Amino acid sequence: MLQIKNLHARVGDKEILKGLTLTVNAGEVHAIMGPNGTGKSTLASIIAGKEEYEVTAGEVTFNGKNILEMSADERAREGVFLAFQYPVEIPGVSTTNFMKAAVNAKRKHQGLEPIVAKDFLKMMNEKRQLVELDKSYLSRSINEGFSGGEKKRNEIFQMAMLDPMLSIMDETDSGLDIDALRIVADGVNKLKTKDNAFLIITHYQRLLNYIVPDFVHVMYDGRIVKTGDKNLALKMEERGYDWIKEEVGA
Amino acid sequence: MAFTDNIESAFETIGKDNLSEVRKTALENFKTLGIPSARHEEWKYTNIKTKLKENLKLVASAESQVAGKAKINVFKAIEGTKLVFINGYFSPAQSTITPQSGVVSGSLKELRSQYTEVFAKYFNKATDSTTENFAALNTAFAQDGAFIYIQKNIKATQPIFIINVYDAASSDVFTQTRNLIVAEDGAEVNIVEDFQNTGGEKTYNHVAEIFIGKNAEVNYTYLQIENKQTTSINSIEAKLEKDARYHISTLTFEGQTVRNNVNAYMEGENAIATLNGLYLGKETAHIDSHILVDHRVPHCDSHQVYKGVLDDESTGVFNGKIFVRKDAQKTNAFQSSKAILLSEDASVNSKPQLEIFADDVKCSHGAAIGQINKNELFYLRARGIDEATARGILTYAYGSSIIDAITLPELKDYLYTKLKERLNIAF
Ligand SMILES: Nc1ncnc2c1ncn2[C@@H]1O[C@H](COP(=O)(O)OP(=O)(O)OP(=O)(O)O)[C@@H](O)[C@H]1O
Ligand SMILES: [Mg+2]
Repeated sequence: MLQIKNLHARVGDKEILKGLTLTVNAGEVHAIMGPNGTGKSTLASIIAGKEEYEVTAGEVTFNGKNILEMSADERAREGVFLAFQYPVEIPGVSTTNFMKAAVNAKRKHQGLEPIVAKDFLKMMNEKRQLVELDKSYLSRSINEGFSGGEKKRNEIFQMAMLDPMLSIMDETDSGLDIDALRIVADGVNKLKTKDNAFLIITHYQRLLNYIVPDFVHVMYDGRIVKTGDKNLALKMEERGYDWIKEEVGA
Repeated sequence: MAFTDNIESAFETIGKDNLSEVRKTALENFKTLGIPSARHEEWKYTNIKTKLKENLKLVASAESQVAGKAKINVFKAIEGTKLVFINGYFSPAQSTITPQSGVVSGSLKELRSQYTEVFAKYFNKATDSTTENFAALNTAFAQDGAFIYIQKNIKATQPIFIINVYDAASSDVFTQTRNLIVAEDGAEVNIVEDFQNTGGEKTYNHVAEIFIGKNAEVNYTYLQIENKQTTSINSIEAKLEKDARYHISTLTFEGQTVRNNVNAYMEGENAIATLNGLYLGKETAHIDSHILVDHRVPHCDSHQVYKGVLDDESTGVFNGKIFVRKDAQKTNAFQSSKAILLSEDASVNSKPQLEIFADDVKCSHGAAIGQINKNELFYLRARGIDEATARGILTYAYGSSIIDAITLPELKDYLYTKLKERLNIAF
């Protein structure tokens, strides 16, 4: 589904990704861990299509298409979803209206008519219950005045609404209390099918107890330096990153 | 300028009525004042002389004074009195007036002989025809417009709509229309004034005088929504007595050249004025908001929020003057003027002007010119919404707060829909 080969990227003079390679297939859950500032969010942003990053080498394909040539919105309509580490507050637009526009953009891309109001409401209700998000949040402006945890739940709600093929979750677990973490994880597990895939960026193994990854990658200094199964996450939690740094000779 | 050349003979065609003396004085004033050039301090950023076509006529031919065939289908869903003016003249056939005791509304041309005392007391008392060029021209030539008179302690139960429709029949006329609105002590009324240009170029000069008595309230929504090829000068002048409340919102979604003079005179203590505006320019539109709040007495509050959105090569002007006279202690005056530029060729001239002669006052103003927030744009696009729509949604988010502050719920819904249409978004 997603193939990244030898990806190099920078912002201005600063090189952030330095030869990253990663393959994600349908039905898989991948976790990426790694110290602060190693480029995890940058990777997520580049896959999602944020324009400020300049790709200097390498390639990224999604279902065989070169997505680096697509705009962010095209990628989203093709099935890429990014649950943001820091969701943006947008005063003046309700989550309901936002989702209506997003769902219809996707439907148009698929050659479908705009969704009927009744079906949309039903869908909203179903999906918000998945993450136990109270109805009142949907009529409020996007993320405005939401607590950190509420914003994260809203991200997963949006993910559920758009039913993406590839979901990238950037530290969705940070800021969630223990109950919310379980709720969000249960929600994600219900969304998992053999046809979609998840790329979960996290600092803590806790989330991975609930959403069990098929692969765990450790990222360091703009590259994936180690890949293992779920036990690698446990090892990271126990031992920190120093041994990795030693291994790569940093 | 051609239409001013034979101004005397145009004036002759109006004939005599009970305003003849006022008109004559105004004509003399206008002849001295003329059309302002760009050297005129108040017209520096709007060179109106170049915007008024040469071949305009000041008085419409007899045929185009008769109500045209324009079909009115706005505000159908909202209950209220509908006063319809076609090419500047009242159309009884298209108007519906909900009768209520103490609420008078209709054609100024018809009612001025019936309400002579009200006219003697108020007509031409809010505008200054000795200094304001277009007020003088309007007073000299305006024949019809809306007359709304709410008697003491009467609350108008339904809103009153003034619907001005122009069609191609008046394209060559520099139409002069005039409203007189009087809310006596303790009276309350909601007024919605709308301008629609159904085809062709249009030029008009509209003056609304509003008098708000003690403890009275006027909510006035002024809509310039479908006016693509319109060049207009609008002067909305309100006088507030003690404890009066005034809320004016101007919404300009279209227009070739639009000048809005919105003036509020605080003449009685504890009066409160709210002046809001939302203006959207595209292509080569030019929209000029000239706001004046004149605090003449102590203990009054004024609040202004203006938001502009300028796309393509459009230009905006915000000139917000707050005048606090020596006696106007304990004045509270707030002004915020913001604009976002959607294209590199769009521009705005923002000029706040605070002239404060009292020492115990609270005045603040802020001005900001910016662009659409990149992170917000990316957030929307990351959900599959294309760039143009995402920009539309963010513009809607920015501008809709001006609609939020309007009091009539059904009108708000109408305006939200119109704003979405204007920005090409649907949800
Ligand atoms: N737009 C930008 N401009 C300048 N520097 C940037 C930009 N985006 C990222 N960086 C830098 O690139 C490096 C990688 O940042 P990134 O956010 O990808 O790290 P991360 O692995 O997600 O870290 P964390 O675990 O703290 O979230 C950091 O040093 C960061 O300061
Ligand atoms: Mg990060």
